[in-house]
Amino acid sequence: MNVGAQIKHGGSVRVNAGRSGGLKAGRPDGKRGLQCPAVDMIVADKLVKLFPTPDGREKRAVNGLSFTVRQGQIYGLLGPNGAGKTTTLRMLSGLMAPTSGTARLAGFDVGTQPQRVKEILGFLTANTGLYQRLTARELLVYFAQLHQMGRRAASARAAELIEWLGIGSFAHLRCGALSTGQKQRVNIARALIADPPILIMDEPTLGLDVISNRVILEYIRKARDSGKTIILSTHYLDEAETLCDEIGLLHEGILVAAGTLDALRAATGEERLSNIFLTTIHADEKVGAIVP
Amino acid sequence: MSLSARIRTIYGKELVDILRDRRTLIAMIIVPIVLYPLLMLGSIQAVSYQADSLGEEVLVIGVVGERQQQLLAMLIERDHRALARERRRLGPDSPEAQALPVGIEKPRIVPFASEADLQESIRERSVHAGVNFERDALYLGLDESNPITIAADLEDMRSEYVASRLRELFDRTAERSNKRRLRQQQLPEQFLYPLSVTLHNLSSPPSILGQILPLILILMTITGAIYPAIDLTAGERERGTLESLMVSPVPVLDLIVGKFLVVTTVAILGATLNLVSVTATVYFGGFDRMIAQTSGDIPVGRMLLILVCLVPFAVLMSAIMIAVCSYARTFKEAQNYVTPVILAVLVPGGIAALPATRLEGVMLVMPVGNMVLLARDLLLGAAMSYWTVTLVLLSTTLYAGAAVAVAAYVFGKESVVFADAASIKVMFSRALARPTDAPSVPMALIFVALLFPTWFFIQSALSPGPGESAEYLLRTTGYLMPLLFVVLPAGVLWYWKVNVRETFRLHWPATRHLLAALIVGAAAWVPAHEVSVFQRGLMGLPAGAEESFELLGSTIAQMSPGSVVVLLALIPAICEELLFRGYLLGGLGAASRKWTAIVASAVVFAVFHFMLFKFAVTAALGVVLAYLCWQSGSILPAMVAHVVHNGLNALSPLYPAWPRALGLNPEDPWAHLPIPLVLAGCVALAAGVWLSARPVSRAAIGARHAASGN
Repeated sequence: MNVGAQIKHGGSVRVNAGRSGGLKAGRPDGKRGLQCPAVDMIVADKLVKLFPTPDGREKRAVNGLSFTVRQGQIYGLLGPNGAGKTTTLRMLSGLMAPTSGTARLAGFDVGTQPQRVKEILGFLTANTGLYQRLTARELLVYFAQLHQMGRRAASARAAELIEWLGIGSFAHLRCGALSTGQKQRVNIARALIADPPILIMDEPTLGLDVISNRVILEYIRKARDSGKTIILSTHYLDEAETLCDEIGLLHEGILVAAGTLDALRAATGEERLSNIFLTTIHADEKVGAIVP
Repeated sequence: MSLSARIRTIYGKELVDILRDRRTLIAMIIVPIVLYPLLMLGSIQAVSYQADSLGEEVLVIGVVGERQQQLLAMLIERDHRALARERRRLGPDSPEAQALPVGIEKPRIVPFASEADLQESIRERSVHAGVNFERDALYLGLDESNPITIAADLEDMRSEYVASRLRELFDRTAERSNKRRLRQQQLPEQFLYPLSVTLHNLSSPPSILGQILPLILILMTITGAIYPAIDLTAGERERGTLESLMVSPVPVLDLIVGKFLVVTTVAILGATLNLVSVTATVYFGGFDRMIAQTSGDIPVGRMLLILVCLVPFAVLMSAIMIAVCSYARTFKEAQNYVTPVILAVLVPGGIAALPATRLEGVMLVMPVGNMVLLARDLLLGAAMSYWTVTLVLLSTTLYAGAAVAVAAYVFGKESVVFADAASIKVMFSRALARPTDAPSVPMALIFVALLFPTWFFIQSALSPGPGESAEYLLRTTGYLMPLLFVVLPAGVLWYWKVNVRETFRLHWPATRHLLAALIVGAAAWVPAHEVSVFQRGLMGLPAGAEESFELLGSTIAQMSPGSVVVLLALIPAICEELLFRGYLLGGLGAASRKWTAIVASAVVFAVFHFMLFKFAVTAALGVVLAYLCWQSGSILPAMVAHVVHNGLNALSPLYPAWPRALGLNPEDPWAHLPIPLVLAGCVALAAGVWLSARPVSRAAIGARHAASGN
């Protein structure tokens, strides 16, 4: 079963015409990107996550977070350490249950339909490990089978990704023997194995050298160009500047700014994302958030 | 992809993964194939070498008094001469001559002035052993004897060796002296031995093997399960692969079952290799006679039987290990958790390994202990009933199921998956529990698994002795049942914020469901009776069952009808329904399909009755009651049916006119019922089930939820 195809053609996708207003998805500069219907692929609504602390009180890791990502967009979720980015991504992927609020991915509720959400989702983090004693090819076939593919279809899909991501030269090696960059390429292949329409990437380039970094970013662009909706969390703001169609700035669990890069520039009067970021945080502390 | 295909995929990958690990291979293959034979050969050779070297050592023997020193030297010398004569008489190369003792060779006899000095030297180990003759003459009159004391430090192997050689010397000397005296008095040898006693050992040949091997095998099975259990749970978490696995569209239960099957496979493989290795070492190493004492045959058939019995044990241990390790975040943490579990397992295992422990009473349901005893009894060829084997296997399966459910519950918890998410204590915090309508499967199974041995123990402890009435048992269980079957599960539900009313299905049912319950309750005894009679004709009754039925009948006959109805109908019906059709069926039904939940709850219900003979009937009744409960959305119809069924059965000994009115003979409880009655009973039961087949409407369920605030 091709999950992506089903989502695109099936009746489960919720089109939020009122909010997206029939806009074309893709890069705002119009240079490239698919001309797809404006489908809200990710909708987070007032997400809250509380963690108990040793002193018996509760820490509010995410506080009433709401945002929408349209199909074919790369949405950058940025913020300092402890801002709540990873917790948000884990809630969106169904790994963590929100304390309150809801999130829908391609129309499926992460709280009540976690299995359906996992079928349409590719999840990648910098810390995601690989099975050291399996070869890259075996690992990809295994995850394909977990995504309900038969043995033959799984092998074919693994071969396709191995070629697309240039893994062929080390596909026969056990993952324990691969370099960091090679591992991350295998990880991307793992996340794409079911051809998911949505990708969640948490610091995908953390710890990579310049060459590997560039290769990975190129793959992310390719994935977006093939129509995938991507949420990207990164510390590297220059990456976000070049990749993201929309950006959300998180600070202490609250979305303090969100919009296209141009909109954020206009709102803050700053050119560089790092300055926008700092200005926004200070503005948040002084006068309030810049959320359209 | 079907459930089994998904589990097969996980199983295949995990098995390949674990078998590629060097540490697993070392623990599973190298240790049994190389280490055990080496250890066994090495230890036997070390013992043999020590025995040889002791024989060549000069034995230092202390004696109190100079004359006594000469006396002992003379005794040793005469013993040598007597043994040499005997050897010549038998023929030096004959097996009998070879079997003769060699006497004390190379002694150095040291005189001591006092017994205290001698004892001091033995303690200092400068003297191996000491002798104190009360009298210094060897030959005494016929009315006299010479008391001799041998002093030794039995913790010192040399001292013990010399003491035993001295003992043998004095025994031989005394025997020769006796023979001489008999000859002098012209008396036959039988004069001294009016009783000729021979001990005929009837134990199976591998007696020592039978005592030790089950425990060894159990230890080996545990050892085999530890590493893969840690690697596949805590190891997965530590290596960072868990997150990618958890975002795959695979239910946690499938993941855990796949992993659990791999751990079980590795544990069984390890135990098999260990068993083969130990058997081969014993057989080919020439230790078979030493261990088996008599024939030296290795009972291959029984070994295979033990291996088969080891499967449920491996299942249980793998489930426990997976559950414990699922709770750990790191390899090291898991190792810390595993150690106390192994110790806890060794306690019942050790109790069971004691020769006096028997597979009866509470040992039948003691986790681990019952499997050790079953393996031991099988190896020794002890007679045991199918009931015993079935109860051991069923209870072990119940514990294993509960452990797998715990593992599935713990494995997917975000506080365990993400070290930074929260403390593990969060899992047990009531404040953070989310209100739900039904208990989780682990919550249901763990409680039932804990209650099972407790209830069995209570029933065993209260069971009447020969000639006693069963009234005390009935009354006490009648008081305890509401506490254990209702109050405790209700407490568990309250703590975890589970809706007690929804779980226990405390709703008023539709009239047709109540009518169906009355019909089912009134008719069920007919097919139940016929199945029991048929079963008795086919398989006979288990030992003691007839007496139990008679005892129950005679006890009921002495009680008032009111007491009988309360103790045997009302209390069991209400309490058992709330536990099995409320708590257990609620938990199972929330996570599995209707018929899976109904059948599983009915099997557990039957196991709780501890009567294999009634197992099929009780399980079938459990299915009907669970169906009534499920279809009506209320516990009440099942309670009504249960009360009527139990009431009719319990009151029949008090009112013999009832069976007579139906054309039955109360004196012959195992007679078939008249065919028209059987047909009427079966049709009525089917009608009751048919009447309850239409479930309660969705609108009614919605109204109930609205009323209960959900």
